[in-house]
Amino acid sequence: MTKSNNRLALALLAHVTGAHPAGWMASARATNPSNDVDYFADMAALAEAGRFDLFFLADTPAARTENLDAWSRYPMYMNILEPVTLLTALAGRTRHIGLGGTASTSFHEPYNLARLFGSLDHISKGRAAWNVVTSSNDYAARNFGLHAMPPHARRYDRAREFVDVVKALWDTYDDDAVIFDKEQGVYFDPSKFHPLDHDGEFIKLHGALNLARSPQGRPVIIQAGSSEAGKELAAETAEVVFTSHETLAEAQAFYRDLKGRMAKFGRTPDQLKILAGLSPTVAESKAAADARHQALQDMIHPVVGYQRIGMDLEADLSDLDPDQPIPLDRIPKSANLSTVYFEQIVRLIRDERLTPRQLWQRYERGNAPARGTASEIADRMEEWFTQGACDGFMLTFPVLPAGLADFVAEVVPELQGRGLLRREYEGETLRDHLGLNRPTSRYAAPEVRPAGVAR
Amino acid sequence: MALALLAQAHGLHPAGWMKAPAATDGTNDIDYHIAMAQLAEKGKFDLFFVADTPAARTDNLEAWSRYIPYMNCLEPITLLTALAGHTSRIGLGGTASTSFYEPYNLARLYGSLDHISRGRAAWNVVTSGNNYAARNFGEDKLAPHAKRYARAKEFVEIVKALWDTYDDDAIVFDKANGVYFDPAKFHVLDHDGEFFKMHSALNLARCPQGQPVIIQAGASDAGKELAAETAEVVFNSDDTPEAAKAYYDDVKGRMAKFGRTPDEIKVLAGLTPTIGESRWEAEDKHRTLQEMIHPLVGKIRVASDLEADVSDLDPDQPIPLDRIPKSANLHTRYFQQIVAMITEQKLTLRQLWLRYERGNKRVVGTPIDVADAMEEWFSLRACDGFMVIFPTLPDGLEAFVAGVVPELQRRGLYKLDYEGTTLREHLGFRRPESRYARSDMKAAG
Repeated sequence: MTKSNNRLALALLAHVTGAHPAGWMASARATNPSNDVDYFADMAALAEAGRFDLFFLADTPAARTENLDAWSRYPMYMNILEPVTLLTALAGRTRHIGLGGTASTSFHEPYNLARLFGSLDHISKGRAAWNVVTSSNDYAARNFGLHAMPPHARRYDRAREFVDVVKALWDTYDDDAVIFDKEQGVYFDPSKFHPLDHDGEFIKLHGALNLARSPQGRPVIIQAGSSEAGKELAAETAEVVFTSHETLAEAQAFYRDLKGRMAKFGRTPDQLKILAGLSPTVAESKAAADARHQALQDMIHPVVGYQRIGMDLEADLSDLDPDQPIPLDRIPKSANLSTVYFEQIVRLIRDERLTPRQLWQRYERGNAPARGTASEIADRMEEWFTQGACDGFMLTFPVLPAGLADFVAEVVPELQGRGLLRREYEGETLRDHLGLNRPTSRYAAPEVRPAGVAR
Repeated sequence: MALALLAQAHGLHPAGWMKAPAATDGTNDIDYHIAMAQLAEKGKFDLFFVADTPAARTDNLEAWSRYIPYMNCLEPITLLTALAGHTSRIGLGGTASTSFYEPYNLARLYGSLDHISRGRAAWNVVTSGNNYAARNFGEDKLAPHAKRYARAKEFVEIVKALWDTYDDDAIVFDKANGVYFDPAKFHVLDHDGEFFKMHSALNLARCPQGQPVIIQAGASDAGKELAAETAEVVFNSDDTPEAAKAYYDDVKGRMAKFGRTPDEIKVLAGLTPTIGESRWEAEDKHRTLQEMIHPLVGKIRVASDLEADVSDLDPDQPIPLDRIPKSANLHTRYFQQIVAMITEQKLTLRQLWLRYERGNKRVVGTPIDVADAMEEWFSLRACDGFMVIFPTLPDGLEAFVAGVVPELQRRGLYKLDYEGTTLREHLGFRRPESRYARSDMKAAG
């Protein structure tokens, strides 16, 4: 067993001022940090000091265009630096930490996307990761000439084809194709250059990427789908998967399910790292952590509360009395956006018959909260990691950078003391950190068979 | 006088990369580009500029493996963003084609670059690319010229509107009252045009320059119209001061009908200097490079700009006039120049590739010679500055910064230091008001 299999992987969801709707109101900053690259550089440096594997930026290519009274108070994705540019800027301000970002296969062209992430991998010297998402929301669709998101199944079909095209483009040049032979005047060896001819259902492309193969061979592929189609796509193509389960048993079931699907695609389970979403609040006691959480929950403005549950339930509840149980007939039949969030919120309504106010005060958007002392949080992480529920964690902090600073100061040494987290980076690339193989090009000559082995 | 550097990794000459001082290729090495940008900043250049085509060639690889423009290059926006952290003044501009991007994605990328660089971003709006690029985006070939320009005009309009989504003072970050931005200062764009249909707001605060600087290079009539209406920097590639002056007056003359004044555009003339300590040394450098052009490369270079295949022709016979296409679909100016050389000088194919320089004012000489040429053009008002295109890099830039820049400064033609921090300040441009602020003023008036 390699060292990386004894160690859990850590990713930071670096959402500006934190994931909690009221997180920005608890920021120590007097001015808006969303557009300040130095703010993010400090945060990335902090994550690197904590020996995180990955600094990650979620994304939606849209600002909301209605209900602005709510969205002006809960500014998620309302004002953000574009992820690829921000990550590229951070490449020069960090040395080790992986740099991952979301980009939707529904709203990009594969050629542009292959260039952007391939270029990031060169510039960061092998630290790029692309989180493949198919969705986002109807606001995004309207930025790209559509009225609404295409249906779920269509999006996944396009995503599969898109990822395949992007990976093929990254293999355009063999690793040793650029020879730079100044004497003979030959810059690259044409026999090691592979244009792609692709004529698929969604994408038609005859082309070659204008970029040498990148340090990691290909950037690391991340996914987060938990639907049936999402799990199949992940088992086939993902190298990191983000999940959000509330209980150990659910997480274990998902872990077994997803890893079990990999063999049919010729993949081994160690080539996919499942990172469980976890939202830690570290304090001197569990009670103190709970109090800090409750203080944040109490800061949620009612218009934000309605907005937040309405978004993940995919139904508008703003006409309901905040203090009467939510009628069950207001629950839509199925989700078109995020299946996991939808199912969690439906369960809270159905099983506990909550009022809107109770719901927005209880609902935590997937990620299991972990509130307590450093040692309690480390226990929780160790349990999930050693009990086959995950290979590591995607940490979302309610308030940034304060939550991360507490975690790095308190929990990281605890994890290191238990041998669960590296003390120093040992490799150079994100693949090195995660124990992922550098992918062989699809055009690489098949390995020479040992002499004497019959065909 | 404004100066921009065309920063192709090894220079623009087809054989430039073969003269690279380094043993290994710096193309994909960010540190190589950082050193170049810092050198340009030392020379007080206004703009570090990265040209682009979103495609590698997929055929004729024996030639394109020897002549490598765009065959292997870092994507411009990521490259420029990386350079933002290692420079503090120089503008950072790149090409992106309106034919192959979505306006929303492009508005985000350049808006973000402007925030990250604290006000130094510029976008060079191009409509073309080539058919290789078209095939990377599901098309067999580029759309016709007029259609591409119609799309470009609509595209630029949308992108500029998206950059105005938030008013400058919209983000209030009022923690006490829980209000992050003022909804009254947030403007949703409803656009229903020939090419784009959007109901949209950019998810990015207004950027330090208000809007990144818009660059264009069109030489066709449609290109000049678009430039007069929307561009702030225009690249021109004429090779004589007379032609450049005519272009300059033409573009600036078209601006009034769009309610703009001539100082709202800087026309930068392409300048290709080969610098030596003596003229003899400079000419020797130039000749050596020209002779290094492999015949396959010579032919492909001519063919690209003539937009016609000439590979079957005898290199040492005059080019038959019936091989000249009726009109250009890609670069009008390059096409016109190469056609003029064929028809007026009756050149053989080999003579053509040895002489053809892809437009631009060529100077082969000492730093004084280069400064003289620049002063001549500038004082004739044939340009407001130059896009300097070095045959080889980084040595060409080194010689220019060491020799030509001090000479220009001595003559009072060029700034001694940066005075502002944003690209708009370097170029003497006003920061554009938001379109929504303007309409408020009209309403009030």
